[in-house]
Amino acid sequence: MREYLRQVGALVWKDVVVEYRTRERVAAMGGFTILVGILFNYAIDPTAVEPQAIASGLIWMTVVFGGMLGLGRTFHLEEEEGAFQGVLLSPIPRDALYLGKVVANFLILTVVTILVFAVFALFFGLEFGRHPLALAGVVLLGILGFVAIGTLFSAISARTSMGDTLLPILVFPLMVPVIIYGVTATSSLFAGLPASEVEGNIRMLGAFAAVALAAGAGLFRYVVEE
Amino acid sequence: MSAKIRWTGAVLGVLGVALTLVLHWMVFFWVPTERTMGVVQRIFYVHVPAAWVAFMAFGIVAVCSAVYLWLKDERLDMAAVAAAEGGILFTTIVLLTGPLWGRVAWGTWWTWEPRLTLTLLLWFIYLGYFLVRSSTENPQRGKRFAAVVGIVGALDIPLIHLSVQWFRSLHPAPVVMRPAGPSLHPDMLATLFVGLGAMTLLFFSFFLYRYGLERVSQGLLHREVAEGRTPQPEGVLS
Repeated sequence: MREYLRQVGALVWKDVVVEYRTRERVAAMGGFTILVGILFNYAIDPTAVEPQAIASGLIWMTVVFGGMLGLGRTFHLEEEEGAFQGVLLSPIPRDALYLGKVVANFLILTVVTILVFAVFALFFGLEFGRHPLALAGVVLLGILGFVAIGTLFSAISARTSMGDTLLPILVFPLMVPVIIYGVTATSSLFAGLPASEVEGNIRMLGAFAAVALAAGAGLFRYVVEE
Repeated sequence: MSAKIRWTGAVLGVLGVALTLVLHWMVFFWVPTERTMGVVQRIFYVHVPAAWVAFMAFGIVAVCSAVYLWLKDERLDMAAVAAAEGGILFTTIVLLTGPLWGRVAWGTWWTWEPRLTLTLLLWFIYLGYFLVRSSTENPQRGKRFAAVVGIVGALDIPLIHLSVQWFRSLHPAPVVMRPAGPSLHPDMLATLFVGLGAMTLLFFSFFLYRYGLERVSQGLLHREVAEGRTPQPEGVLS
């Protein structure tokens, strides 16, 4: 078990260091989210719609679209010069490889999500309610489920001729529960409702993440095998 | 295509078409008109059986995909793709007949009603299944990818169902599968079961023919490769 965690940790560390040194994905996703915020400003008539009323939906969609940008590149580095063969040859179980990628993607997307919240708060003068812990629980469990599905399917789409264009078609239909439970819970918290209101949502988001992680860990070997 | 598959498919198909004709006679001339919705309710006898078949097909896809990944038996993959093609056909029937009814009964072509949304998402999961299959150069890889999509889709369907149900419901409540027993008029129930039988027979007829076709085309590919007329695609015969 300890050995397993060490292997997952090594893979996460590799991806985080690569990301820290290149800042490729965070820069692309961060730039994307700020620009989306600017475009939303002009796409919404603030005299007709209160930004606070639709903020949670905008934030979630921005995180999901921005996340797709980064997730699509999960395996790009390894696809170059057959580097993935090297990773596959290392004595690491396939599910550890998957979990390592999921954790790395999760950390990167968490950074981007914090940026999204900050940018939207700044641009639209949003209030996030009185329960930062419940909000963090909702958002982190939601993006964990998203990343768990997205990482599995980016391994698939990266190895098809359609590439990244295939990823949203595979991922979005499956994302409906995350969006429904995530957005409604975020809206409730933004509206200042007590944290007990969103307990059911947090449970469902947790269940989704658990199912997605288990499925991804179990099925990843069939995606990467030759 | 083996004679057994062809004949079973033909028998099921003929029975399915015959039963479909009986169904249409029942729907148009026999079954009583529903009191509140009127004559438009009669599309229900096509819509509901098609939906049952669409979801059953998806179950077949998921089970065959899972066992295919486990046992690596090509026949299971052929069964999965045959069921998926039948499934997307019946999902399309559901999505076409639903709005026709909804326009009259609800006054709108489309609404974000849970079962409607679920069926549309099911259609898109099937779409992903076929796109993944067809966009790989290595056919073995495409089959594995499609199986993964089928399995993850099947695991996600209950969660999607729960979430969209929780979000909003204005679809007519179930009238057959409910704890207190069916609330339908017996004649309506009989018509519904004839529809269900007709659709199921048609589905399995399509399924067998498509399965047989897939076997023929795979066999042809193997023969061409073996005779050196086609270059060996990466990983085909491994």
